[in-house]
Amino acid sequence: MHQRLNSSDRLGNFPEQSRVVRKLESIAELSEKEKQALLDLPVSVRNVAADQDIVCDKDRPSHSCLVLDGFVCRYKLLDGGMRQIMSFQTPGDMPDLQSLFLRVMDHSIGTLTPSKLAFVPHDAVRDLLRRYPNLVEAFWRDTLIDAAIFREWMVGLGRREAYGRVAHLMCELLMRLRAVGLANGYSYELPLTQAELADALGLSTVHVNRVLKELRLDGLVVFKGRHLVIQDWEGLKEAGEFDPTYLHVEPQVAA
Amino acid sequence: MTLQPVRVATGGEGEEGRLVFAGEKLVALLVKLSHQQEELAGRWFFEAGFGRLDGPLHPTFENLADAEAWILQRLAATGEA
Repeated sequence: MHQRLNSSDRLGNFPEQSRVVRKLESIAELSEKEKQALLDLPVSVRNVAADQDIVCDKDRPSHSCLVLDGFVCRYKLLDGGMRQIMSFQTPGDMPDLQSLFLRVMDHSIGTLTPSKLAFVPHDAVRDLLRRYPNLVEAFWRDTLIDAAIFREWMVGLGRREAYGRVAHLMCELLMRLRAVGLANGYSYELPLTQAELADALGLSTVHVNRVLKELRLDGLVVFKGRHLVIQDWEGLKEAGEFDPTYLHVEPQVAA
Repeated sequence: MTLQPVRVATGGEGEEGRLVFAGEKLVALLVKLSHQQEELAGRWFFEAGFGRLDGPLHPTFENLADAEAWILQRLAATGEA
């Protein structure tokens, strides 16, 4: 992903733009002008295969990327070859917004599934934020929610049993995907492998496999192909001690 | 190193396992993965390690000889063997 990017398109030309707008609208109130300014952002859109790096640890990116489609993750590789996935980014998310202000990447970002990504030049994002202070608040809120998600993951990695970790992640993804219109009732596409879940949850693939079976036997979830169907939402929330407050997914009235 | 057969309460009905001793000390527990583990079925899983073998690494092995070799290597690398 180190090819020259030519940002000759605009975000609004792609049908998935609605996910980006919905994502921000799920956490902040946007005016029509602000939405239009977002859609007018110059972008270079790329279809990227699964398991490709978008930006690497120590890179100095000149663009931020928007996830239009697919699953992307932030990760770090350890010396022994082990990988820790630190977050999943789903459609509508901007995983490397930080590179706008923190010049050097302190982790890598890569695709987990085939993904459609929009690259926005940093200068264009800066210009947008100068013109629309309310968008500064929206992006700031997004960054704070990002941090809240990290805190929840930290609690899970440090203190939750494997069963609760998996349940919590399933609950979180439902809420996040629902916010951008990618959940159908209590079902959503979960195209991740057990190894990828293991890398995110600090478990072995074997443990993830066992927990998925237990969750199914307990009647909480079932897989239909690549779709996860939550059969007992209350039970799953209880298993993961899931309290959605940290996601702040409701329209906020600017103070 | 000696291996002692044991049943382990994983995978429902209990899976075949081995307690791994280095001398008199228990250093690891291996579990043979059942058909429930799909593509990993039949492999030996490093379920738990003790002392220097405790940690986030939980590989699987084709057979017990490979598992033993890995455990010996890890013990040697950490100065236990």
